[in-house]
Amino acid sequence: MSLVKFVILGLGLLGTPLFLVIGALALLAFAGADIDIAVVVIEMARLADTPMLLALPLFIFAGILLSESRAPDRILRFSQIFFGWLPGGLAVVTLLVCAVFTAFTGASGVTIFALGGLLLPALLADGYDRKFTMGLITSSGSLGLLFPPSLPLIIYGVIAETRIDQLFLAGILPGMLMLTMLAVYAFVKSPPRKPIARGPREMLAGLRLVAWELPLPVILLGGIYGGFFVPAEAAAVTAAYLILVEVAIHRDIPWSQLPAVMAQSMVLFGGILVILAASMASTNFLIDQQVPDRLFAVMSSYIDNKYTFLLLLNLFLLIIGAMLDIFSALVLIVPLILPIALAYGVDPVHLGIIFLTNLQIGYCTPPVGLNLFLASYRFERPVTELYRATLPFLGLLLLTLMIVTYFPWFCSALL
Amino acid sequence: MAQSLVKLKRAALYGEEILLGLLLSAMILLACLQIILRTFFASGLFWADPVLRYLVIWSGLFGAVAATGRGRHIAIDLIGDHLPPVLQGWLTLIIQLFSTLAAAGLTWAGWRFVASEFAFGASGPLGLPLWLLNSIFPLAFALITLRYLLLFFGQARAVIAGPAIGREGGGQ
Repeated sequence: MSLVKFVILGLGLLGTPLFLVIGALALLAFAGADIDIAVVVIEMARLADTPMLLALPLFIFAGILLSESRAPDRILRFSQIFFGWLPGGLAVVTLLVCAVFTAFTGASGVTIFALGGLLLPALLADGYDRKFTMGLITSSGSLGLLFPPSLPLIIYGVIAETRIDQLFLAGILPGMLMLTMLAVYAFVKSPPRKPIARGPREMLAGLRLVAWELPLPVILLGGIYGGFFVPAEAAAVTAAYLILVEVAIHRDIPWSQLPAVMAQSMVLFGGILVILAASMASTNFLIDQQVPDRLFAVMSSYIDNKYTFLLLLNLFLLIIGAMLDIFSALVLIVPLILPIALAYGVDPVHLGIIFLTNLQIGYCTPPVGLNLFLASYRFERPVTELYRATLPFLGLLLLTLMIVTYFPWFCSALL
Repeated sequence: MAQSLVKLKRAALYGEEILLGLLLSAMILLACLQIILRTFFASGLFWADPVLRYLVIWSGLFGAVAATGRGRHIAIDLIGDHLPPVLQGWLTLIIQLFSTLAAAGLTWAGWRFVASEFAFGASGPLGLPLWLLNSIFPLAFALITLRYLLLFFGQARAVIAGPAIGREGGGQ
């Protein structure tokens, strides 16, 4: 039996769909414990009791709609008019636009592919050096994961059964801190330049460009924290609003194309849902077998305080974040770590932000961080060159991680 | 023959898009309707929330069926394209065989679950029986099993015929 499980795990590392790997292991585990295997699907069906799950398909659709439209281009032009004239302005624009875009599209690679091609030539033409530029874009590729309505935040909320509105608030200050540090660095590294004056007419034109997209964050956050709707409903409003703006008003996406975009979103959501479902079953088994308790018993004889635990957790998650994509990492690791972290007295909301910060940094950590490969592919440069280019940014991100980990105030201040 | 098969495939893909689009639209409309009713009329549909939750499950599982056909399931792939093509072809074949078996196991588990719900006879929102609402689990897993079985046969033919081509459905 254990040989079979070993083979399945092996296949799981070689490209077998993750939900089937977890599902098969859960089936074997329950069958081995003489429990009716129907339990596996009963656990999956418990997902129907999770009201916030609705936020996932709707925000995924909103993100895909946004990235298929010409909104990224409009947002970029708008930001250039308003912030481009500052020293380090275009680099700051890059950071802001990437953060906004990633918050809405969640899955990280999209940002580098959709925006990298627009931003790289613009930054180079502005006089930024090539190494800085590539490092900036690579590390910005996953910036914004901590801002609402990022999908990984929602997925963490679903898995850890933590309130999504609290997670949304908790991510804001750590995300801002990260943005600020990178912006200061960009300011230092920016080429000397004469400021270009922007007339009021140009500014008005810039505002008009994004007049329809600009209210979206206000509707979203105002709606949730003004008490008009819960996060899942905010997702529905966002989706409906974006259909109105991108399809009906801007006509970036023709009506005939809408079913295809919707189907594309549901395919992506389906891939995530079956993994979540399978992990409901395997998590139930792990808890039934008291695996987290036993892990904690072993760990507590070596690690006696919360801070050492958090440090080790950071190291562990950085490695995981560099190897796995964010969805797999969340589904596989959160159910194991959460009970242990609670036992050490770590707040689940704080833990969520630590998780996502680590996983985000893991994306640009050599040797295997996904962003490095995406950027290497997109910019047709060797990946080793990107290792060097990303290094200073990586240092700053790690510094943020330390601050966020050891000063929980950043997560709890807005709650 | 081959042409009608292509036509059939295109029709299936189109049907899939329409179905997924309808489920998603229903979720958006129903959720927005709830907000409007609550905010402006201080009322609401008491069945809307449970129905929405099942819509999420149905759209996700149908989405997963579509993801299988398009080879878009999330997978961890440490080797990537570093294997020689012949080995890669065999590995894909093994993965598809495993996927067929695993999906069949989930179908069986889902069938047992729904059969017991049927015997129990409880009902959910709108008086719909729970077994019907949950029947999507065995249904979707059965369709996924079928897709992997077809992919497996196709891959087997390709592996036996000679140099391996592609690795459809084996992951992202």
